[in-house]
Amino acid sequence: MSESRGARAGVAIRGPIGAMGVAAALVTMAALILLAGVLLVEAREVLDWRFFLNPPSRVAAEGGVGPALAGSLWLTLIVAAIAVPLGVGTAVYLAEYAPPTRLVKAVESVLTNLAGVPSVVYGIAGLALFVRGPGLGPSILAGALTLTALTVPLVVVNCRKALQAVPDESRWAAFGLGASRWQVVRDQVLPAAAPDIVAGCCAALLRAVGAAAPLLMLGAVSFTTFVPGSPHDPLTALPTQIFAWAARPQEGFLALAAGASVALLLLMAAMHLVLFANRRRRKGTLT
Amino acid sequence: MTATALSRAARNPRSPGERFGKHVLFICAALSAVLGAAVIVVVALETFRFFGQVSPARFFGGLTWAPLAEEPGFGVLPLMAGTAQIAAGATFLALPVGLLTAVFLRYYAGGRTASILNAVVTLLAFVPAVVYGYFALNYVTPAIRSVWPGVEGFNGISACLVVGLMILPTIVLLSREALGAVPNSLLEEGVALGATRRRVLVRLVVPAAAIGIAGSVVMAAARAVGETMIVTLAAGNPTGPTWNPVEGVRTLTTFLAQASLGDIPTGSIEYGACFAVAAVLFLLTCGMHAAGGALMARGQRGKPGAVRS
Repeated sequence: MSESRGARAGVAIRGPIGAMGVAAALVTMAALILLAGVLLVEAREVLDWRFFLNPPSRVAAEGGVGPALAGSLWLTLIVAAIAVPLGVGTAVYLAEYAPPTRLVKAVESVLTNLAGVPSVVYGIAGLALFVRGPGLGPSILAGALTLTALTVPLVVVNCRKALQAVPDESRWAAFGLGASRWQVVRDQVLPAAAPDIVAGCCAALLRAVGAAAPLLMLGAVSFTTFVPGSPHDPLTALPTQIFAWAARPQEGFLALAAGASVALLLLMAAMHLVLFANRRRRKGTLT
Repeated sequence: MTATALSRAARNPRSPGERFGKHVLFICAALSAVLGAAVIVVVALETFRFFGQVSPARFFGGLTWAPLAEEPGFGVLPLMAGTAQIAAGATFLALPVGLLTAVFLRYYAGGRTASILNAVVTLLAFVPAVVYGYFALNYVTPAIRSVWPGVEGFNGISACLVVGLMILPTIVLLSREALGAVPNSLLEEGVALGATRRRVLVRLVVPAAAIGIAGSVVMAAARAVGETMIVTLAAGNPTGPTWNPVEGVRTLTTFLAQASLGDIPTGSIEYGACFAVAAVLFLLTCGMHAAGGALMARGQRGKPGAVRS
């Protein structure tokens, strides 16, 4: 960003382009404020402690996101536990170890392409691969594995960018001093890329937590009174819960959908904070 | 990477760290490759099985899509037309706002404003699609109907507007990257020659970044093509073919979402149809991503001394 400072310095915002730019920026900001405002106003009646613990109910006023929240937590934990090490490991292997063979290049391009594939496609693939094939049924585990398939390519792509941003000179310097390949990766490349790797994993996980379409394809349930206690319990999650409530025209359910959206955004914010704290700590040890 | 050759001499293959690195990381890469391949293979296999029952000519040439009707139609063209309608509409709406925001971010906004705007754009990018869908169905659609009562409860306009909002961050962030590849000296030289800032931006800077900006638009359109929840919630799933955006629109993705709400028996023709539609989506988005990525890479070529992407 520092490069652009020169172009900006001392420039007053005037002229038609500047005015249109301001207008466009205001539209963008207004959209976010409107979205957040609508959610908070609509959800204010339902948001209390019971809402986060109660199961959904046919009576709107008694409904809550207990099972869905627990389901989303399960999904987050399982996906983070599998997709992050797998994706980061893959990215490090591809960037630092892999010989430039055809197979490696093919794997790279497949993963890059998969990162751009819409999430519904993972849903339909997961239906065959996990729900129907090995007979996991529409369980939390099937959902987590499907979301893992969706997340790994994103983690790989984001981490590859982070690793590529580390200048080759720091690798050469370390090799020149006699460091082994693993020492170079562990002591030079990973610490330098760590903040970007954490941010990249965070972005990929946030995408997975908010994904409704793949879970819908697997057959997620939205009216369960049962808080999932193991990965084999029926799949339920916040995004699909929001979908079920958002499509119901009755007044009370709109508030529930808004409340569930707030719960989902809070969960995402909490994940972001955890990872951000970690990122700052890492940064601290670097200097 | 030239580091490969240099390090070969330095590495000691017997140390435990080296073995850890080599084997564990290789296993990670192999597992990721298997997982990715499994997704592709299962979609491809089911699609081929479907083409055993319904000929590709009927699938790609047919003009009706009604997998459950008495005389089933498996023509994917109406679904693709719906997808094109939504993606084109959303991109058309998002491009001016997105590009202007990017220009504003790069050339006008000062440090404080820029960082706030950046945060807003990033936050918009993280809002889950289903939340946008809820917003579209319950707030945007009533707002449109209050001005234009002829619009139906499920309609393409609301879907286009909100999908446009969803892809806005993609356009802003990637266009800004494209503008970043244009050297500042271009602006400075233009202004030094006596042209106004507006003229330099419109005539020199934006055209210089045009290829990269086009790439960002293609990437954003690819996201719009794959968008499921917003379109399902806002545009519904009408059975007939629809061309009028004040009515509902049926797309590749909304068919999948709607099909999933009923229990599709494994191996049935409708099950196969889902995979065939998913395969079309897969190829479409992959192609658009590859094209967008290539355009963006070309746009970055002029960037002075830049390696990072």
